Amino acid sequence: MSQKSRFFNSKQPKSRINVDKRDLNNIMNDVAFAQSGFLEKEDENEVINQRSIVENVDLFSAQKYFELNLDKFGPYRLNYTRNGRHLLIGGSQGHVASFDWQTKKLHSEINVMEKINDVKWLHTETMYAVAQRQWTYIYDNQGIELHCLKILDRVTRLEFLPYHFLLSSINECGYLSYIDVSLGKKVAGFSTAHGRCDVMGQNPTNAIIHLGHHNGVVTLWSPNVKEPLVKMLCHKAAVKSLAVNQTGNYMITSSLDHLLNVWDLRTYKQLKSIKLNAGASSLAFSQKNLIAAGLRNEVVIFKDDFIKLNEEEIEAEEQYIEDMTPNDIYLKHRINNANIQNLQFCPFEDVLGVGHSYGISSLLVPGSAEANFDAMEANPYESKNQRKQWEVKALLEKIQPELISLDPFKLKQVDRKTLEEKMIERNKKLFLKPKKIDFEPRLKMKGKSKTGKKEARKKAVKAANLKEFVKEVKEYERIENEENKNKEKKEENTVYNVFDRFKKKSK
Amino acid sequence: MKVKMLCRDPNDYVRETKKDIFKMPRNYDSSLHPLEVPREYSRALNSTKLERVFAKPFLGSLDGHKDGVHALCKHPTQLSILLSGACDGEIKIWNLAERKCLQTYIAHDGFVRGICMNPSASMFLSCGNDKIIKHWSYDPLSKSKSCDAIQTIVGKTFYTSIDHHFKKPVYATSGERVDVWDINHLEPVKSYSWGVDSHYSTKFSPVEHNILASAAADRSVILYDIRQSVPMRKVVLAMSSNQICWNPLEAMIFTVANEDHNLYTFDMRKLDCPLQVHKDHVGAVMALDYSPTGKQFVSASYDKTIRIFEANNGHSREVYHTKRMQHVMAIKWSLDDKYIISGSDEMNIRMWKAQAAEKLGLMKPREREQLEYGEKLKEKFKYFPQIKTIKRHRHLPRPVYNAIKENRIIKASRQRKEANRRAHSKPGTVPFVAEKKKAVVDEQE
Repeated sequence: MSQKSRFFNSKQPKSRINVDKRDLNNIMNDVAFAQSGFLEKEDENEVINQRSIVENVDLFSAQKYFELNLDKFGPYRLNYTRNGRHLLIGGSQGHVASFDWQTKKLHSEINVMEKINDVKWLHTETMYAVAQRQWTYIYDNQGIELHCLKILDRVTRLEFLPYHFLLSSINECGYLSYIDVSLGKKVAGFSTAHGRCDVMGQNPTNAIIHLGHHNGVVTLWSPNVKEPLVKMLCHKAAVKSLAVNQTGNYMITSSLDHLLNVWDLRTYKQLKSIKLNAGASSLAFSQKNLIAAGLRNEVVIFKDDFIKLNEEEIEAEEQYIEDMTPNDIYLKHRINNANIQNLQFCPFEDVLGVGHSYGISSLLVPGSAEANFDAMEANPYESKNQRKQWEVKALLEKIQPELISLDPFKLKQVDRKTLEEKMIERNKKLFLKPKKIDFEPRLKMKGKSKTGKKEARKKAVKAANLKEFVKEVKEYERIENEENKNKEKKEENTVYNVFDRFKKKSK
Repeated sequence: MKVKMLCRDPNDYVRETKKDIFKMPRNYDSSLHPLEVPREYSRALNSTKLERVFAKPFLGSLDGHKDGVHALCKHPTQLSILLSGACDGEIKIWNLAERKCLQTYIAHDGFVRGICMNPSASMFLSCGNDKIIKHWSYDPLSKSKSCDAIQTIVGKTFYTSIDHHFKKPVYATSGERVDVWDINHLEPVKSYSWGVDSHYSTKFSPVEHNILASAAADRSVILYDIRQSVPMRKVVLAMSSNQICWNPLEAMIFTVANEDHNLYTFDMRKLDCPLQVHKDHVGAVMALDYSPTGKQFVSASYDKTIRIFEANNGHSREVYHTKRMQHVMAIKWSLDDKYIISGSDEMNIRMWKAQAAEKLGLMKPREREQLEYGEKLKEKFKYFPQIKTIKRHRHLPRPVYNAIKENRIIKASRQRKEANRRAHSKPGTVPFVAEKKKAVVDEQE
């Protein structure tokens, strides 16, 4: 085809990527796309409770709403595995049970005959840690005690960092410790110097531990630094609970003064402050940024646009304490006479787990979860074999605790000299002291070595030395001034552009 | 009220039968993959360590020669065939895949200096210290195992190497002169000399077929065009070169293995300064061969090691040695870019992998993907100190290790001396000379 007419050209496909429609259909069929849930009110005053949701959803979803009445051992704490499949509950009176909450299949149920402060799954559903009255124990999925961790004593809260295999805990004395569960070794431990602490959370994006203290301060910790990386005064009363969202950008805190504060963790600024009916005893973020708060016997779930702000508010800088409005509320659920102890949204399921003094409840919260999971990270449908393989891989890819820092992308950045280092270097140059010289004049004959003359000679040498040094410093300063001038000149010389008025004015 | 719950059909996520592969739905949302950088770093570190764990380059040895192997020759089309010549005058044909000797010829009195095959692989030629060139027929299908040469040419002087033209029935030998022969004649067609009494090696260019290069005993490297009657140009180095090898893909580039422990890569058009000096050996470099891609070459040295260099890099990326291997006298890079074959003084021919940690044999796509991903990560994090040290670390024989240390001291001392001399003499009298130019003494046309 030597001659390419216009007709020929028009027939050619425009883009080089030529996807056959049949191929695309095949691809779409191969991968299952789940649709995330939603909830729309018909009018604003409509009251939606769990019963009305259960009546309106399919049978399979309705099964996910359930309550366990365990009034003898409460209040309960609970924890979902990372794939959202298994649930671990621990009653304060010593009752521990782990089960597959979707099929309601019980793995194990034990009574440790001791007070329980917290329960946490480790990396898989075959192991969990229980913070008991005196020590912390690790049990397997049959309830057999694997370890008694005596280095973690009188622990109040536990957190597990899944990519680092670190079990971090805070105890009654406010001592924070990190244990590598793959090696069984203590990695780090610091005293927080804030006294008893039982508010703990982790930032999932950078594995930083957040602690809330009785004086209203929230501290951020990494295992590599003895002092907190950040101290934030979040409240004027004791912090009761905190939670960080999945992208690691927002933190919510609640305190005894009935406030719920929203914080931006990139700027450490407060975004919002809301007055609640009571101090929220427990807070939780869902994967889609819904916020659940436990107020005495009531669970309140706020909408996801709750943390979205218009820019004027940020500009104003002065924060107004707002009252809770019905508009902000997505769902409400009341558990009679109970005291809510713990909340957690189930990953990849539209379910909120509530641990309270009479057992646990699993509530339906449409639209709270990420619909499409990544099977390489957390797979709710994984088989035993897959789990074993994943465990091996995860252990091989364990991140060393030294790599924990506030900015998880730091490792990727160009290693520039920090401003601080530059300043130190500069200061060194400008404020150099002249070298001290130990000059002992030689002995000279014929009266030239009298004390006075000797001293005069010494002085002259020292003066010359000083003079030379001053000259050097002056020269250095001159060069620097010249450079600055040249810079200014360059800036002056540049032609004024129309758009320059939109530039920020330098002060 | 409108309400819909997130609802998944388990059938979409669980495989139907046990013979199916697992379904792995993916979601690339970055919030589901936290700590991406430190995780990648850990993976890169792991794959770097695994690379060193799996670095077992030695594949096996072919023994059978009764004296040191000084000449090797690749079959131009068949990967498994190798020809080798030893100091006792024996030539052996090997099957590399089966590691068996197929045939043995008593070819020469004394050293076999060079073997080469013609492009159609119907015959091979050999030359030796006994001033004889022999033509042998090579026919793997014939049943008669005759061990007689089809042609024997008695020359006036000894021969040090032989190489066949890549297209025409012409070959060249080196000795006291560089001779170009026609395969059907008993006398050389052309004979070149340029004030030199002997040449160590000569090679035809595989791209520009009529260009010939030779390394001479007067420390020079001489270029010839066999269509002309006189040599083209020559460059004189500080010490003599042992062998020459042309880059198989870049027509102008050739590398010489020098007595001063270095290799020099030259551009034919600009001989006054080598393109690259390849340093790392601690003994005279005896032989070298380019990989068929032209990106790397392998060199054999008198220090009993083999090193692999990137063609554009001054230092080697790999060093091979064994306890028993003596001075390595001949080396070849196989034509599938996967293996290296070395012949050494202690009568053995050894086979090595070109990539020390490469897995041989078939790989499943998943395995290959995993390895490729590891390679990419290693590339990404290669400047991190931990990864860099692991990647660079090689175990060396003690004499080589000590020699390197000593060389470092010598170099520092020389630099110091030069700096001192420069500081104490009139400015400009001690000029700065580039490291590359130090080795070149003269260029003549």
